[in-house]
Amino acid sequence: MTNSDALTRLRYRFFSGRLVGEILSKSWIDSAIPVAALAVVLLAMAVLVPGIFTVAYVADLSRQLAEFGLVALALTIVVMSGGIDLSVGSTFALCVLASLIGMNVLGLPLGVSLVMALGTGAICGTLNGLLIGYLRLRAFITTLVTLVIYRAVYDIIFPRLASAIVGNTPESTLWDYLGFGTLYGFPVSFLIFAAIALIIHMTLSRLRPGWRLRAVGGARKSAYNAGIDVKRTVCLAYASSGVLVAIAAFLFSARLGSTGADTGIGMEISVLTAVVLGGVSLGGGRGSVGNAIVGALLVLILTNGLIRMSTPGSVNQLVLGLILILAVLFDAKWVKNRGKILSKVYVSPTYLALPARPERQDDPYALNDRLGVVEPIGLGVVEGPEDVVLDADDNLYTGTRHGTIVRFFAPDYGRSEIFARIGGHPLGLAFDRHGNLLTCVGGMGVYRVSPSGSVARITDETNRSLVSVIDDSRLRLPDDLDIAADGRIFFSEATIRYEMADWVTDALEGRGNGRLICHDPNTGRTTTVLRGLVFPNGITMCRDGQSLLFAETWACRISRYWFDGPKKGTREVFVSNLPGYPDNINRGSKGTFWVALLGLRTSTFDLAMRKPAFRRRMARRIAADEWLFPNVNRGCIVQISETGELLDVLWDRDGKNHPSITSSCEHKGYLYLGGVSNNRIGRVKLPNADPDWTAQRDYWGQA
Amino acid sequence: MKIKILVQALAAAVAIAVGLSVAHAQDKGLENPRSTTFHTALKDKKVVFVPLSMGFDLTEGWAAQMKKQAARLGYSFEIRDPAWSTDAGTKAIQSLISEKPDLMVVHNPDIQSYARLLKQAQAAGIKVIQINLESNTTTDSYVGADWTEIGEKAAEAIVDKCDAGKGISTKVAIDTGVPTAASDVFQLDGIYKVLDAHPAIQVVSQQATEYNPEKARSIMATVLQQHGDLCGAIGIWDNQDTGTASAIKEAGKSDQVFLVTSGGGNQVGCENVKNGLFNLYISYNVPLQGDLLNQEIARLLMSDSPAGEVKTMYFNPLTLITKDNVNQRNCWTLDDLK
Repeated sequence: MTNSDALTRLRYRFFSGRLVGEILSKSWIDSAIPVAALAVVLLAMAVLVPGIFTVAYVADLSRQLAEFGLVALALTIVVMSGGIDLSVGSTFALCVLASLIGMNVLGLPLGVSLVMALGTGAICGTLNGLLIGYLRLRAFITTLVTLVIYRAVYDIIFPRLASAIVGNTPESTLWDYLGFGTLYGFPVSFLIFAAIALIIHMTLSRLRPGWRLRAVGGARKSAYNAGIDVKRTVCLAYASSGVLVAIAAFLFSARLGSTGADTGIGMEISVLTAVVLGGVSLGGGRGSVGNAIVGALLVLILTNGLIRMSTPGSVNQLVLGLILILAVLFDAKWVKNRGKILSKVYVSPTYLALPARPERQDDPYALNDRLGVVEPIGLGVVEGPEDVVLDADDNLYTGTRHGTIVRFFAPDYGRSEIFARIGGHPLGLAFDRHGNLLTCVGGMGVYRVSPSGSVARITDETNRSLVSVIDDSRLRLPDDLDIAADGRIFFSEATIRYEMADWVTDALEGRGNGRLICHDPNTGRTTTVLRGLVFPNGITMCRDGQSLLFAETWACRISRYWFDGPKKGTREVFVSNLPGYPDNINRGSKGTFWVALLGLRTSTFDLAMRKPAFRRRMARRIAADEWLFPNVNRGCIVQISETGELLDVLWDRDGKNHPSITSSCEHKGYLYLGGVSNNRIGRVKLPNADPDWTAQRDYWGQA
Repeated sequence: MKIKILVQALAAAVAIAVGLSVAHAQDKGLENPRSTTFHTALKDKKVVFVPLSMGFDLTEGWAAQMKKQAARLGYSFEIRDPAWSTDAGTKAIQSLISEKPDLMVVHNPDIQSYARLLKQAQAAGIKVIQINLESNTTTDSYVGADWTEIGEKAAEAIVDKCDAGKGISTKVAIDTGVPTAASDVFQLDGIYKVLDAHPAIQVVSQQATEYNPEKARSIMATVLQQHGDLCGAIGIWDNQDTGTASAIKEAGKSDQVFLVTSGGGNQVGCENVKNGLFNLYISYNVPLQGDLLNQEIARLLMSDSPAGEVKTMYFNPLTLITKDNVNQRNCWTLDDLK
């Protein structure tokens, strides 16, 4: 290894650059940018206005946040439903008027005034909802019109009652408490806001009304086709917006005790700025309570800071307007380009050096045609039979890419039936002691099928590692499994960074993205045993009962791991420098193992694996379907001994039936072949094998 | 011998006279302790002005006056400009309550919005002067117009012109500004106290223009269409009543409708009186108010008594400007004050 290689290896060990892609793929990334902007603004304010962050300032801010934040929440709900509500300011004014008429003019008790205010808000909101939800009018123009109408109603009623409103003060301690009281140092209005925000957050993120709202906002036609009552959802969104605005108006009235001609004027602009700044997408379907709060805080801190710095009032409006334009521009660009940026940045190649293949005259891996005499089984019946296994009655089982497990009946395997429907793509298969068929289902988890065909889930999650940005408690690509003598299931998860659909992209990275996981049925717990494996694939138990073999596909090696006994926890290389990419490993007769090589190494790809910068440039500049890929189209089967020596190699020279093989199963003197990109299973006679040997007997004793 | 003694005596007398005059050289006077205190006591104090908004004659005039004294006496003077927004104004005052300046000069958009806040400010030890537009809370000082008095004077002038048998009719229109502001509620009270005593006068229209001249214009245009024989109109502020006046002029009824308005007395208002757009202009005299403000600021800043202990008010005298007494004393421009 040259010096530059050593340096590259070290550099990529510590700075592989995958964090950027992983962070960008998180669902909360939309909110991260506004939060960062908030942090910048806070810092700027602390510098420009020294001594601004006192307890009194925070108390003030939280009181303002209570009212402004409620209106921002109202607008967030409406925007998430795919609409917009420009009439929030006028609704606010009308609700303030209703509260003050109740408290000041009519002298009603607080509860009744609250009902009056909420009723006013509900009526205003429902009117919008009926026009936009049921009559299908355009949200922008409709709410613009209702803005004018509600404002006009306010302008008519207010002057007549102005003197009565400002001339009386209500004698209500609860009213004063709402406006000015504190509880444990927090303003009461802020506590009310916090409670409401929490309830709405729960509803939006975890309850059905929230999901329906997002569905309607994000993809209206699909939501309709899925059976959601779109009109009612939209109407309810506006109605609840009206109620929230009414609560904000009630708190405002309690705080100020009066209203003026300019109440609520311009509020729609500042609230819209807050909502867009916070990260709620104007297109609908994306957003959260957190976004609304962050945006509201940004706007409030900015306006307060500008007033504090004695800037002229018109400059404040200008600054806010400029910020709104920038936020809207950014929102539009981001939503459009996020997917594109992510796909460019996510692939994070690292350094992987494979030992060089020796040049030998008598290459033991030389091409032959041992598989030329294969008999196809299920030609055209199955697609993607990644693994094959036979039961005690010699019936053949395999998984297909349609999510089913197909059974072929002995002895000729001409008749078949769908044994079980699971979903995903069932990959590795194994029988346990009781004859249940256990399978790793790509995209889902580990499942069990009883002999009668009923499906049960064994596990689909493992423990979350604290240092991983990606949520690795989910199983994305469980590949192969094997069962220890005490029933513990050891299975491999090939990669945590890619899904079943684009598994080959993991080859470009060459990083240890996979892991070995153990599920203990006695305790029901699933834990990750080994991390950082390079696409761990096939797993098989060694005959000592204390260790297992696992293949690391892109690293072209097989390793042995002790999970019990005196050497527990140690790992050593069993076979390395394979000429191809090992997939499933299974036991064979006479103490041997069968390894399927699903593809072959090429010098080009091996060289590319030592040049991570080249692969990264390729991933960023070229379209995904033009990328360099490993050869996964041409492989063979290898038989190795218990000590890792090569015994036999079987090829399909013409490549018509089995160019690439992912699994092989020896059963009573025959070898059965599977291929994840094939549409048939193969069966070839093994001249030197034990004609009575079955895997069942080898594992569990009796037949 | 006698002449020798005479000459000696004369020389001695001259010498004494010269000696005496040299001994008492100049009278340097006495240091005035009150003057020293006056010019040094206010250094490093902080005064903040919270207007309705900057950018119009009243607040610019007062601010110019207050800046001059701040420069003269060495205290800092800041303006927090809410730009007509009551909400921004309450935020500004709330933040000032935690900043604790020595004195706030507050211009109230209506009589209730800042009321509680001003109470809190006084409780926090901040001295508060309210200027021209009051709130329900009485604070250390109020300097400004007596709106009730203005209302009464305006109504008296209207009654003079429009009572039964005096004018083309007894119809009167009133255009107010912001219904909850001191200029509206108290002025209307003054107007109606007088009009109630003269039941012949009918008020055919009373609408709020929110200080917007365009709105005032369209309101008056409509009123004139409905009541072509309108006798008089009362507007509550000259800046909005430029609209009222132009509506009257467009209808060609400048000679018929007697328009009474009130304002700070700046040159533009005076011009409008001179060319007949306003018939009576009740001026509350911004330069005078500025001087009174300055005096109150100095007095309160020098006083040791805590905020809110002694509350005073001064409703400054009004000048009734008609065509005949438009002169330099009654009218001012901003440049005069700077």
